[in-house]
Amino acid sequence: MENLDYIESYFKNELPAEEKTQFEQKIINDKNFAEEVAFYCSARQIIKDELNKEKKEQFKKIYQQKNISHQNTGIVKKIWTFSAAAAAIIVIVFGWYFFVKPVSTQQLADEYIQQYFQTLGVSMSSKQDSVDVGKSLYNDGKLPEALQQFEKIINTNSKNFEAIKYAGIVSLKLKNYDKALAYFSQIENDSVFSNPAKIYKAITLMERNNAGDKEQAKELLQQIIQNNLDEKETAEKWLKKKW
Amino acid sequence: MPPTPTMSNTILLHKASDGELINNLKGTGIDKKKAEEQLFTTYSYFIKEGERKYKLSHEDIFDAYADAALAVIEKIKDDSFKGLSSIKTYLYQVFHNKCVDLLRKKTTNKQSVHQTASITESMFELSDSAKSIINKLMEKTDFDLLKQKLNELGDNCRQLLLLWADGYSDKEIVAELTYKTADVVKTTRLRCMDKLRQLYNTKLY
Repeated sequence: MENLDYIESYFKNELPAEEKTQFEQKIINDKNFAEEVAFYCSARQIIKDELNKEKKEQFKKIYQQKNISHQNTGIVKKIWTFSAAAAAIIVIVFGWYFFVKPVSTQQLADEYIQQYFQTLGVSMSSKQDSVDVGKSLYNDGKLPEALQQFEKIINTNSKNFEAIKYAGIVSLKLKNYDKALAYFSQIENDSVFSNPAKIYKAITLMERNNAGDKEQAKELLQQIIQNNLDEKETAEKWLKKKW
Repeated sequence: MPPTPTMSNTILLHKASDGELINNLKGTGIDKKKAEEQLFTTYSYFIKEGERKYKLSHEDIFDAYADAALAVIEKIKDDSFKGLSSIKTYLYQVFHNKCVDLLRKKTTNKQSVHQTASITESMFELSDSAKSIINKLMEKTDFDLLKQKLNELGDNCRQLLLLWADGYSDKEIVAELTYKTADVVKTTRLRCMDKLRQLYNTKLY
């Protein structure tokens, strides 16, 4: 043990120059000590070889995995070719379905209502105004009560843009299309910061789907695009479809 | 000239520059292990290139490449790699030399000659007369038996000695294994070496 520590100190270059010379001299003069040093070197070599053997095994595993993944890539490429052909057919069929087959305007309107008229944004202020009360009723699913609330506001102020807009939305949800159209028509030309009344009117027409409603809705959408009004992008998207 | 890397290899190269790879190789633990695997993987396309160029079996070329990768890792760890060329160029040169050695051995039918353990780097520090004595004594070593005894030492000793041979300091081994202090690691490690010697000598005499 003591000699091992001494031998290690030499090979770790921890001995002063004088002791290093003594160490080398001891190898020459002391056969047993020389054998111990030789064993230390042999052991170190064999341990290193074992270590490298383990590392090579690990490398082999990695290499095989990499090659397997490359082979799999080849199979995947073939699958991809077939998949791409299948996908192309699906795209053609769906392309025809979406762009050539006439679109259901009612479906478009339904999707819009589903997406944007699910709830109405209520003011975060602790003090609710009368419009917020109507919106809360709407959000609670109390549509007739909400309509009553908005109409009460309109009765006191017939120019209340927000109340008229929400009265139109509630009427649309209640499938009272004529009433909804009347409300939206009242405000469609109001100069306010954001006025989506034209597209709401178009949606109402698309939902009602009476004779001529589709054409009228289309005309409203074209007006939105031409005049760069609110929901221009939606109007453009819808008009790209075959009506 | 080293062969042109594939796109994926180039991406890997960009992911870790030589500098980053060198730093990680000089480190310890999982980062070091990952860096070693990364060095091996990044240039493993040399294997296919070697198979075409040297007309040797896949096993031979793989061994030559793995040995070359391990040699380069060792050179980087002990600061012998001075960064005068890129790791790729350096590794390719080492790999090429190993393949040429292999070809020479094959053509001169020398592969069956018994190979003694190579002189460890540290032995070069010995004076010529001392080195000559140690070399002669090492030639008498039964390396197969020593290897067998190493595997009989038990997992704890074996693992400890492998980490030591991998260049881990006793302090770093504390972090890797469940020893309390570096001193305990050193004492245990020297005891393991002593035990190995006893096992080897018992069988030998």
